[in-house]
Amino acid sequence: MFRYILKKIRYLSLKNKNMFQDTMPEKSNSVPLVPELRKNLETIKGILRGSSDVTMHEFNFGHDRRFRGALVFINSMVDKEEIHKNILQPLMYDVLLLRNGVELDFTNIDTVRKNLIPITDNLKVTLLDDLMDNLLAGAVILLIDGSEEALVINLRKRESRSIEEPGTEAVVRGPREGFIENVNVNITLIRRKIKHPYLCVEKFVIGEKSKTDVYVIYLKNVANPKLIEEIRRRLSRIKIDAVLESGYIEQFIEDAPYSIFPTISNSEKPDKVVAKILEGRAAILADGTPFALVVPMVFIESFQSVEDYYARPFLASIMRLIRFLSYIISTLGPAIYVALTVFHQELIPTQLLISIAEGRERVPFPAILEASLMMFTFDILREAGVRLPKPVGQTVGIVGALVLGQASVEAGLISPIMVIVVSSTAIASFAVPAQTDSGTILRYIYLALAGIAGGFGVIMGLLATLIHLASLRSFGTPYLWPIAPLNLSALKDVFIRMPLWSMSKRPEAIIWDDGDSFSKSPGLMPSPCEKDNHDSD
Amino acid sequence: MEKMNKQKRLGIYKKMYIREKTNIKIMKIILCILLLFVLSGCFGGREINDLEIVIGMGVDKDENTGKILITAQIVKEQSAEKTVGGGGEDSKAFWNVSSTGDSIFDAVRQITHKTGNRLFVSHNQAVIFGNEVVTEGLQEYLDFFLRAHEMRPTALILVAEDRALDIMDAKPETEKFPAINIAKLVKTYGFTSHFYKVNMKDFASSLMSGTTAPVAPLVRISDDRECKDVYVSGMGVFKKGKMVGKLNDEEVRGLLWVLGKVKSGVIIVPAPSGQGSAVLEIMNAKSKVIPEIKDGKIVMNVKIRQESSLSEQTTSENLATISAFEKLQKAQEEIIRQEIMKAFDKSRELNADIFGFGEMLHKKYNNQWKSLKDNWDDIYPTIELNIDVETKILKTDLLKKPVLPGEGEK
Repeated sequence: MFRYILKKIRYLSLKNKNMFQDTMPEKSNSVPLVPELRKNLETIKGILRGSSDVTMHEFNFGHDRRFRGALVFINSMVDKEEIHKNILQPLMYDVLLLRNGVELDFTNIDTVRKNLIPITDNLKVTLLDDLMDNLLAGAVILLIDGSEEALVINLRKRESRSIEEPGTEAVVRGPREGFIENVNVNITLIRRKIKHPYLCVEKFVIGEKSKTDVYVIYLKNVANPKLIEEIRRRLSRIKIDAVLESGYIEQFIEDAPYSIFPTISNSEKPDKVVAKILEGRAAILADGTPFALVVPMVFIESFQSVEDYYARPFLASIMRLIRFLSYIISTLGPAIYVALTVFHQELIPTQLLISIAEGRERVPFPAILEASLMMFTFDILREAGVRLPKPVGQTVGIVGALVLGQASVEAGLISPIMVIVVSSTAIASFAVPAQTDSGTILRYIYLALAGIAGGFGVIMGLLATLIHLASLRSFGTPYLWPIAPLNLSALKDVFIRMPLWSMSKRPEAIIWDDGDSFSKSPGLMPSPCEKDNHDSD
Repeated sequence: MEKMNKQKRLGIYKKMYIREKTNIKIMKIILCILLLFVLSGCFGGREINDLEIVIGMGVDKDENTGKILITAQIVKEQSAEKTVGGGGEDSKAFWNVSSTGDSIFDAVRQITHKTGNRLFVSHNQAVIFGNEVVTEGLQEYLDFFLRAHEMRPTALILVAEDRALDIMDAKPETEKFPAINIAKLVKTYGFTSHFYKVNMKDFASSLMSGTTAPVAPLVRISDDRECKDVYVSGMGVFKKGKMVGKLNDEEVRGLLWVLGKVKSGVIIVPAPSGQGSAVLEIMNAKSKVIPEIKDGKIVMNVKIRQESSLSEQTTSENLATISAFEKLQKAQEEIIRQEIMKAFDKSRELNADIFGFGEMLHKKYNNQWKSLKDNWDDIYPTIELNIDVETKILKTDLLKKPVLPGEGEK
């Protein structure tokens, strides 16, 4: 039976693959341009199959209008004002200002480029393939009769959102700017924070159809060259239709695609990304998404918030411990409750056991079912609340919290303590945003294990999770670093956050240890005067 | 060409074979996980609704049949739902369910005829033995309480002056459950040090030592008013598993001085002038017992170090002076010495080694102990006590001098 189903699935997948291959465009565009303008235009028209938003403007230019040229562009993607002012005008009128005696051969693209085009962002192409790529990306193409080359002029007009505070990572103290959909702006945001020649920006184009610009940004001599090589290798391996979000890239380059734990972190905040680049990590920015990917990721990164470093270390350390605690509560809360009340009643203090028993008196379900019902309801509420428009979302919250919570207790379907357990779990799960996914899944797994085998099951699940976590690697860095393998100096920034002046080293597991990058800055404890400094040593 | 094709095909077959094998492996794992869900009953999970939470147990003799009468105090979960009933006067939060049997375990299992569920005894706070049971011998009854895996050895052991059943029926005023109330009473012995808490484990270990006489606090119902209040006072002394006598409050404190278990308490000392008295609160007490064998005579050197504070005075003289303090300390020392002697006299009278002197000798004089052990009953009354008490009054609390009319004008 199973074998039959498996066969069927395998057959279908093969069939799909074949179908997919049928629709792939034949790779015949890599032909060179020809000197005849008309022919080139015909070819382009043929490839575009008469799209109505493509303009092909033919014109004559030069002193005596003896040269013939054409501009090809996509209407909606270019700034027409600019075309008129910066391409057509110089070619057709400003050329007259040149002294008559100078005879320039405008069939040579280089001559045109050097003499008449007042735009820096231009490029000479000879292959039709490259020409098409640039045309579709929004560039203006200048073709000249008699030339085997074409000039690509970038006059992209681009609508973009203004820089706003990111909704996913709000801070009390810290920069409020966030990445936007325009990758060039995003790179600017990073460049403005690191004004150092070592900052490298490498470009990739990914997506058969979307041809999305993807940038890898890192600090040379700090980032491990092997890491960068690995990123290059993994990125160039991607063969997909389109990159609509950086999540597409993440899923193609992550180390453990079957793991519930993310091995690539993402952020909307330039300051956070820059901090990670300075630690020797590399950021991957894709056009069209405000989320930058950062590799490698270690587990404890999920518990670090940018504000930990902006605020003074004392409260920051406590908040970090609270975050660890919240993660434990959010994954283990219902499981421990079920394990205790169903299997290990002797571990509950007598008075508490009596109140739990009184609360559960009229509940007709076993504790595990009760817990799953509540968690399920909560997850439905959360999902519904996220998707709905804001005013309606509030209503859902009120209905969920007050009506369902209260009514189900009064109806005797759910015990009041279960409501407390599940709601505190739910609140705790929001304290560690980076691990919300894994936390939600683990919560259900642990609950099932607790229902089956009590505390024993929970411990088994925990051990399995620990083994799995220890086996994970993100671009060569052990996922549990610096806890396992233990690195004492890096522990300064794990459970508590030591003062910044005491953290003078970059993370050893990530940086390139051949470079001169190990020490960030001479760690200097602040002191009012030199004498005190001496004493404090 | 043909050969290559064949090889290729063989390779494909091999790959398919391996894939099939891994598939079967995955299926097996999935099957195991599914089985876990089916077998969940085997791991001993029980919903709280199905539990009968026992918070106290009483052991008596049935008057008619002479069988063991077990009373289990069970939490009534419905009691929380005050909205259902009118909240009648007799709505008790607990249910005392009794059953008789030939042994304790037999009786405990008989209770299920009445409860429908197995008793859950992990939260048992106290076991109360009726008077009839303790005078006949406790030994045979203890076994179950220590052997049953759900039972806690930390459950308190108490002896009822009459029947355990009556004590478990007396509803306390502030607590909901009599058994928890009794446990609370016993655990707060430190305020007076007139009895102390003994749990199953302590009792059994002193019972097993051979020479030491176990003691257990006495619980009784006061009949002086309409409402019946349960109170704990004094301790029963056991010898060979039977209760042979009782220690009153003073004697118990004498015992506790020696054992070093006095936490706090009140000592009333006559004032130096002879008029009125000073009330001292024990702050801290330490003891050290050094056994000594001198010329075949056993002497126990008991050293007591005590600190106290002046908590109340009924005399008009100012006690906050060094000379008054010295006199008070002397008087206090005398009272402590008397208390210890009272306890010791009582134990000699009962010939029961409540102090555990036998064990102390055993530790120090291991060689002689073998000969002493066999006729300990003859030796014990001949032991001499050498008591050395040193006390200190630390403070007079908030007042420096007594509250007297006219004193404030100075």
